[in-house]
Amino acid sequence: MAWQKQILRVNLSTGSCDIEPLNMEWAEAYLGSRGLGSKYLYEEMDPATDALSAENKIIFATGPLTGTMASTGGRYTVVTKGALTGAIACSNSGGKFGAELKMAGYDLLIIEGVSAKPVYLHIEDDKVELCDASEIWGKTVWQTEDLLAAKYRDPLMRFAGIGQAGESLCRFACVVNDKHRAAGRSGVGAVMGSKNLKTIAVRGTKGVHAKDPKAFYKIVNDVNARMTDRDEMSRDGTLAMIDVTNGFGSLPTNNNRSVRFEGANKLNPEAMHSPNENGHTNIVTNGACFACTIGCGRICKIDPKHFSVKDRPEYHGASGGLEYETAYALGSACGVDDIDAATFAGFLCNEYGMDPISLGGTIAAAMELYDIGAIDDSITGGIKLEFGSAEALCQIAELTGKGEGFGADIAMGSKRLCEKYGHPDLSMTVKGQEFAAYDGRSMQGMGLAYATSNRGACHLRADPYGHDFETTEIEGKAKIVAESQRDVAFLDSSGLCLFPGGCGWGLEDYRTLVDAACESDWNEARMLETGERIWVLEKLFNLKAGLGKKDDTLPKRILEEPADVGTGKGLVCRLDEMLPEYYQLNGWDAEGVPTAATLKRLNLN
Amino acid sequence: MDISVTLFGGLRHFLPAGSSFNKCTIKLDDGGHLDELLELLPIPAQKKYIVIINDEKVSREAYADITVHSDDEIVLLPPIKGG
Repeated sequence: MAWQKQILRVNLSTGSCDIEPLNMEWAEAYLGSRGLGSKYLYEEMDPATDALSAENKIIFATGPLTGTMASTGGRYTVVTKGALTGAIACSNSGGKFGAELKMAGYDLLIIEGVSAKPVYLHIEDDKVELCDASEIWGKTVWQTEDLLAAKYRDPLMRFAGIGQAGESLCRFACVVNDKHRAAGRSGVGAVMGSKNLKTIAVRGTKGVHAKDPKAFYKIVNDVNARMTDRDEMSRDGTLAMIDVTNGFGSLPTNNNRSVRFEGANKLNPEAMHSPNENGHTNIVTNGACFACTIGCGRICKIDPKHFSVKDRPEYHGASGGLEYETAYALGSACGVDDIDAATFAGFLCNEYGMDPISLGGTIAAAMELYDIGAIDDSITGGIKLEFGSAEALCQIAELTGKGEGFGADIAMGSKRLCEKYGHPDLSMTVKGQEFAAYDGRSMQGMGLAYATSNRGACHLRADPYGHDFETTEIEGKAKIVAESQRDVAFLDSSGLCLFPGGCGWGLEDYRTLVDAACESDWNEARMLETGERIWVLEKLFNLKAGLGKKDDTLPKRILEEPADVGTGKGLVCRLDEMLPEYYQLNGWDAEGVPTAATLKRLNLN
Repeated sequence: MDISVTLFGGLRHFLPAGSSFNKCTIKLDDGGHLDELLELLPIPAQKKYIVIINDEKVSREAYADITVHSDDEIVLLPPIKGG
């Protein structure tokens, strides 16, 4: 139990929608969500396939705890080959869509082929149909959801889809669900757009059943009682991190030219909670995903008098506001200290369906190209693309969402943009994916985590935080990164969020929930092995896709230009010293290829 | 002497009454040490944090050996993660 033991397979080329039994042997070995979706993708598709071709598949995968009463049990993962990276993409989201898909009776939704014309998928339990999307193609995520909600008149119907960015194959287009939650990274929205699939509307009434409901209920309450450190996350959200990294000296600023942003105090929780000169307060309230007992989401309003929205009342309502990553990408990365401008750019990301981390990272790279004269007003369409320009940020964000003007260049992502204009070293990416909000010089473990992340630069594929804030010495970091990558792979595959781990839960709390909900014995050894198996499977996908040791690296700036201030002042990332130990600890050879013994131990032959 | 201390993240909620958003001023005897200063802050014992003085992280073992100066920039960071 906990699994629905069914998958829904939709072939857009033929129009078929088939319900199939879940491969329980794979579910027992890969748990669900990220792990199980990756297993299906690996088995069913040639990893060398072009990400935007009909041969690529896109899988919406729930975990066994998705849709249960376990706290944060609303997560799902979009698994595909990433349009941004060419690597495996496992992009995780919250909101309420994942739980609804699970309650409709499906552990996985596998989309294959390409539709000859725009369609959307409508699911109500066993009733599944592909519908003409001509009336919603070209609409934003928000317009699409409003139109279909009015059509079906069911307030519990949930939507996950793309905006114009996905339609125009923006390389970092994302899948947005519930209007402001997103499977954000690696360009999964571009894959959906390449298939002419606009959105998925789902309503489920079947519920989700635990193995032993009474025991599960007790354990849910027991572990909730251990979530003792959640008040800060509820009050300040992840934005609390901005003061920490800025104080430590690891907040990427101006395309990683610096690791400290003097305008951070205009983007921090105090700024979000304090009235501005017009008496306007950015935050309205916090928000929670399905079954969440934390509520880290920010629901915010832009000052109606702000330049970005003063004549645009459609943006005067409350929606998903700045979290730490968006405050970095649309703030410090671009040198912008205007909280309303960054909030507006974030709204545009949700509306048009773009990953704000990659959008901000790419605009930051473009600002540096502009700063050194590699591009000028003739390229930008007259936009003064200077670090710190809130106006330029808002203009470029909107152009990118629409795929117009210089926005079409930004839509390529930082790597392709910097290559096009002759300065590939200015792209702060790994495997083509833009950095998250931590600098790998003052946080050496994070540098290793970025370099080795299977989906490209990512702050959520390992947990080096505690050790990184303790020391910049590299001893012990390879072990922490290697082991936490496996732990996170397991957690991501459960259907729960990672954030309870920062609010008092330990790995054991996740394991007890999985064990109580699912059949068979999920002991600690099995949990650790499952996490490692998932991590290595993702690695195997990437190797077959043509990625290798050359891609487990960092930009020249992080490897050769010392950090300018903070606790890591004078340091570069010592990746070359950590990487061999990391490979060895994983049971991989010197080229980062899992050995035969490792594959045999994990039943990956 | 007056020592200015900045508490980031959730630590700011343990600032003494009357403090600004995330800063407070603590009175410490001249020649006082870091461990004495930290004891004057009303932070619960179970709360973990790291201390940075003038951009240098300080190890816990050294708290009692470090003499605090009035112009030191002292920052306390909670070990939070994610984002």
